[in-house]
Amino acid sequence: MLWFVLFRLLQSLVALAILSVVVFVLARTTGDPLHLILPMSATEEDYANARRYLGLDRPYVEQYLSFVGRAVTGDFGMSIRARRPVIELIRDRLPNSLKLAAFAMAVSLAMAFPLGVMAAVKKGSAIDRTAQVISVLGQSLPTFWVAIVLVEFVAGRLQWLPAGGIEGFASYVLPGFTLGWFVVAGIMRLLRSGMLEVLDSEYVKLARLKGVVEHRVIWVHALKNALIPVVTFAGIYFAILVTTAIVVETVFAWPGLGRLAYDGITSRDFPVIQAVVLTTAVIVSAVNLGVDCLYAFIDPRIRYGR
Amino acid sequence: MKSLLMILVLISLGTATPAWAQPKSELTIALSSFSAETLDPALQGHNVKYYLSLMFDYLVGTTADGQPSQMGGLASKWENSADYRRWTFHLRKGVKFHNGDELTAEDVKFSLQRAMSKRSTTGYAGPLRALIQDIETPAPDRVVIVTRDPTLIIPTYLSRSLSTEGMVLPRKYIEANGDDVFARKPVGSGPFKFVEQVTGSHIKLTAVDQHWRIGVPKYRNVTFKLVPEETTRIALLRRGEVDVADVSRERVKELEKEGFPVHMRKEEAIIHMWWILGPDGRTPPTKDKRVREALNLAIDRTEVAQSIFGGYAEPAAIPMGLSWSFKEVGFKVTPDMAYAYDPPRAKKLLADAGLGAGFTFDVYAFQLPGLPEGKSFAEAVAGYWEKIGVKSKLIPVDYPAFRKVWVDRKAPGAVGYYNIANRDWIGTYALLEKQGYTPSKLNDTVNDPEIDGMIAQVMRQTDREKINALMRNIFTRLRSEHHGVPVVYVHSPYATAKTLGKWNPGAVMYDLFLDELARK
Repeated sequence: MLWFVLFRLLQSLVALAILSVVVFVLARTTGDPLHLILPMSATEEDYANARRYLGLDRPYVEQYLSFVGRAVTGDFGMSIRARRPVIELIRDRLPNSLKLAAFAMAVSLAMAFPLGVMAAVKKGSAIDRTAQVISVLGQSLPTFWVAIVLVEFVAGRLQWLPAGGIEGFASYVLPGFTLGWFVVAGIMRLLRSGMLEVLDSEYVKLARLKGVVEHRVIWVHALKNALIPVVTFAGIYFAILVTTAIVVETVFAWPGLGRLAYDGITSRDFPVIQAVVLTTAVIVSAVNLGVDCLYAFIDPRIRYGR
Repeated sequence: MKSLLMILVLISLGTATPAWAQPKSELTIALSSFSAETLDPALQGHNVKYYLSLMFDYLVGTTADGQPSQMGGLASKWENSADYRRWTFHLRKGVKFHNGDELTAEDVKFSLQRAMSKRSTTGYAGPLRALIQDIETPAPDRVVIVTRDPTLIIPTYLSRSLSTEGMVLPRKYIEANGDDVFARKPVGSGPFKFVEQVTGSHIKLTAVDQHWRIGVPKYRNVTFKLVPEETTRIALLRRGEVDVADVSRERVKELEKEGFPVHMRKEEAIIHMWWILGPDGRTPPTKDKRVREALNLAIDRTEVAQSIFGGYAEPAAIPMGLSWSFKEVGFKVTPDMAYAYDPPRAKKLLADAGLGAGFTFDVYAFQLPGLPEGKSFAEAVAGYWEKIGVKSKLIPVDYPAFRKVWVDRKAPGAVGYYNIANRDWIGTYALLEKQGYTPSKLNDTVNDPEIDGMIAQVMRQTDREKINALMRNIFTRLRSEHHGVPVVYVHSPYATAKTLGKWNPGAVMYDLFLDELARK
């Protein structure tokens, strides 16, 4: 198991190193941030001054080495746009994204588990059909549309819940639901199909023959084995929820990592783009590693097949 | 039991009172953008004035309609030497920064030097660097600004009507704590002091007990919320969670129907298009004046104002003609200056120019803050040009990408646009000096020696009547040579809570005069 973890860790580090080069190069192909921060009256001398002040006049290799050298210590430099240390911006935003993603994931699991399991157990019933409708809607309704409708009607017209910002538990409900809505559909479908397969298996039949009560057969014996793909999916989606909630964060005025990334990209804020991408990559790698370990823990064949 | 029920009913009635009907000591403003969100005036120009002008005082105050005022600034009066090279500002006495330090002439000198430093990215740092020779502080309440050339424009450059260069900052605090601390915890002398900033979310200010600008502030706290999505801003307004929100022109009627007052900043910006110059100036086919006129005559400005901007816009006629300056310099747009919608004449002009078969050129299409209609506007104009045989290739980009092409002069003849904020005559002059002046300017869009000559004279001229005449002549020449495509002046709507009361959002660039709203 230890070798498995070390090997995956090494793979993650290599991926991060490659990514750091890719993001460094790609960020610089998007344009010159000075066109945004300098006034229209700026002369060529002003451009040269600003380039020197921001360290953008140095050769690319030197800039890259300096960026990587500082990044490993957690220093991502200064934001070109906000003129603040990027790590401070990440520290401000990341917890908001993590909290929102955790809430969204909790909402998703709370909805998907009972629906997915019951849809499989009562295949063809009204519950199954309801679950299928939710699943189709969840995967087909665009997030921005769901978000706007909720803000317009639930927050604006009915005034049941806050429309935006982070102020207390109630402010998590609409963005959390919007973000989790898509994941509900995915988890539910996986769980349903997994459960259908497992419920038809020999060991479940044997458990029933041995007289194990039905709810124990379903919720303990069957569910545990149907969970493997769900764990992978949920883990990866948690990372995605943390890092790519740009639409939800924009609509609900949620100051998270997604909007920081968006602002960084639109303002050609290289240090912010680099920091957000690397932070995202670390989160995704860490979650993947965690999922792999969990997977190996749940399914010994993976461990031994190393 | 009955009395218990009665109490419950009363409690529920009490809690059911809508938020908007309750008296407030908080003023909350929801804006779609905070620009760079920086709190240091030297690190950003115009766009941050919305919130910074409550925290800082300007050396020279401005009335809500943009005129320099001895009431609203730190300088209670100012005078110039006979040669117009020495400007003496007399400071208001007893003004203190929020940390208790007294505001003196040294703070003014320090702030101005900081605004002109190489680190500064304010809108007019460059022109001020070129203009100011020395800053003297003969007394704690007196500052003398010495310029290299005679000029009239110093007071306006340091006033609230332009950018942030005129904001006075605390020298001792910045020197003791450094620029980074100041940028995180700014200290000013305005009617509201800084409380907290959560990037991407809000900036919160709290009132001082008493301030010379507005007396005892009406609101204890003022919070600026960053809410990029309009639906959310309107929902917050409906819920009574914000008092002022910028809204799009297309939502105005709906909000008015619901009873929300909508305040218009009339002609807040001109939607202006221009042709990118080549390394050696203007290039064919728009080098030909007839082509430039034809492209102007092809556009139905009234229809654009109605259909794209929902009727909240007026046709424009003068390239780079910022209308808030017209009255000051005595310029009048005569009926014959207005561009008629005349496609047949446009076609004839193209034929006369040897382009009867039409031609093709690039139009960069992008959204801009305050101009959500950006892309549909570009598409509409391209459609009009198509009708006279000019094929426009729409290139969807974002503004920085366009600006790079423009400044680098990589696409001569291609068209871009901007919603240029309206401003007074000095502001207009500054714009002309940026976008209409050939020498050493990367951003020039005009390339006309006659206009260059007049712009150069304005800077050195000290006779106001002669300046006015020069400005009028510049406008006339810009129009007669068709140096751009002025399309419409747009009005910008701000919806407010039903209980907010009277508010004049004024006519000062990027400043909503919220401190007037906070006046009791």
